[in-house]
Amino acid sequence: MSKQISDKIEELKTGVDWFYSDDFKLEQASEKYKELTTLAKEIQKDLTEMKNEINVIAEDFSKD
Amino acid sequence: MSEEQQVYSVSDFQAVCNQILETAFAGVVVEGEVASFKVNQGKFVFFDLKDEQASVGCFMMKYALRFPLEDGMRVRVRALPKLTNWGKFSLTVQSVMPVGEGNLKKSFELLKKKLTAEGLFAPEKKRSLPPVVRRIGVISSTQAAGYADFCKILNERWGGLEVSVAHTQVQGMAAADQIIRALKYFNERGEMDVIAIIRGGGSADDLAVFNDEKLVRAVAASKIPVITGIGHEVDESLCDFAADVVASTPSNAAQMLTRDKREVLRQAKDSIVRVQNLFNSKIDEMLRENLRVIEQVKLDVVVKITTLESEIDGICKVLTQLNPEEVLKRGYALILGEPKVGNVVKITTRDKEIDARVEKIKER
Repeated sequence: MSKQISDKIEELKTGVDWFYSDDFKLEQASEKYKELTTLAKEIQKDLTEMKNEINVIAEDFSKD
Repeated sequence: MSEEQQVYSVSDFQAVCNQILETAFAGVVVEGEVASFKVNQGKFVFFDLKDEQASVGCFMMKYALRFPLEDGMRVRVRALPKLTNWGKFSLTVQSVMPVGEGNLKKSFELLKKKLTAEGLFAPEKKRSLPPVVRRIGVISSTQAAGYADFCKILNERWGGLEVSVAHTQVQGMAAADQIIRALKYFNERGEMDVIAIIRGGGSADDLAVFNDEKLVRAVAASKIPVITGIGHEVDESLCDFAADVVASTPSNAAQMLTRDKREVLRQAKDSIVRVQNLFNSKIDEMLRENLRVIEQVKLDVVVKITTLESEIDGICKVLTQLNPEEVLKRGYALILGEPKVGNVVKITTRDKEIDARVEKIKER
């Protein structure tokens, strides 16, 4: 199942936080940075393409 | 009296009258002023509905009374006209709603006081909206401008939402029950993250449905969090008080339910730029640290060499002082050979070497 947009946004935030954390390692930074830029592009694409699904329920609420 | 003319019993006549009334006035709506309002045995409500020229008695069950009434209030009733067994004409009221801003306000205040005392609007009962909303149950009229505003803002701000819309009336005497049924519908299915009750601006009469006691109670009892976006900023309804979250308008409700994708995009781009800058600055920092270490090592080496040079210089000075030639230069002589009388010894001075015979030895 593909990731939800909110999961991707959370992942991006976690990825950014890593750069500010004590876990930061220069050897891994380049790879992480590439991952984050890919993720940001995916988020942009998802946000641009996502459409809301609006359905009017067939139920007649004027009747008991 | 003609032979052919139909003769009714009193009961039949009353029944036929009621049939005719029911056919002619099925669900008639009458507007007038309330007089002689009273509740008998806690169940039966009686009042007269009157204007300047006429008055008609009204009867209804207390459970059907959804707005507090008082004498002098102007109301609109939906009722069935009826001739009672005692030959009295009355209206059996199905629903009643105050009309006119003053009456609505009075009814609003009375019901607000009652429901507040019951704790229906207590802040501790309020639930927050889920952090991520994916499924929204909307209760509104799909023809209403407020609904269109709500959808427009929703679509502008976010995507991927599942929005189920329960189309109901949002004004008039039938609206409250329809909205209650829609609330029940969503609650029974339990699929929605939130229920949004949406209605654009209107007059006090138009918005009066949202002060219906039964509807207000249904909003408060909803298992799914409810957000209201009813009317304009200045409007307030008892449904707003009962809801978990109140938006000032339908558009505002859409804003409160969604993040703005333009803002999310901007933040994502900013994050990447910040990371890039941070990454570069970390590399610069490490490069600077490396250069600093190299410079320090260079400095240490120079200091070490200087120290060694200085030490060597000292040693050289000591060695120079220990050099026998230096002693000879100061006027001393070096004698080699055994100092015995008759022996030849070698005497070395600053500039001469002398062979000399020992003639006499004396202890000092």
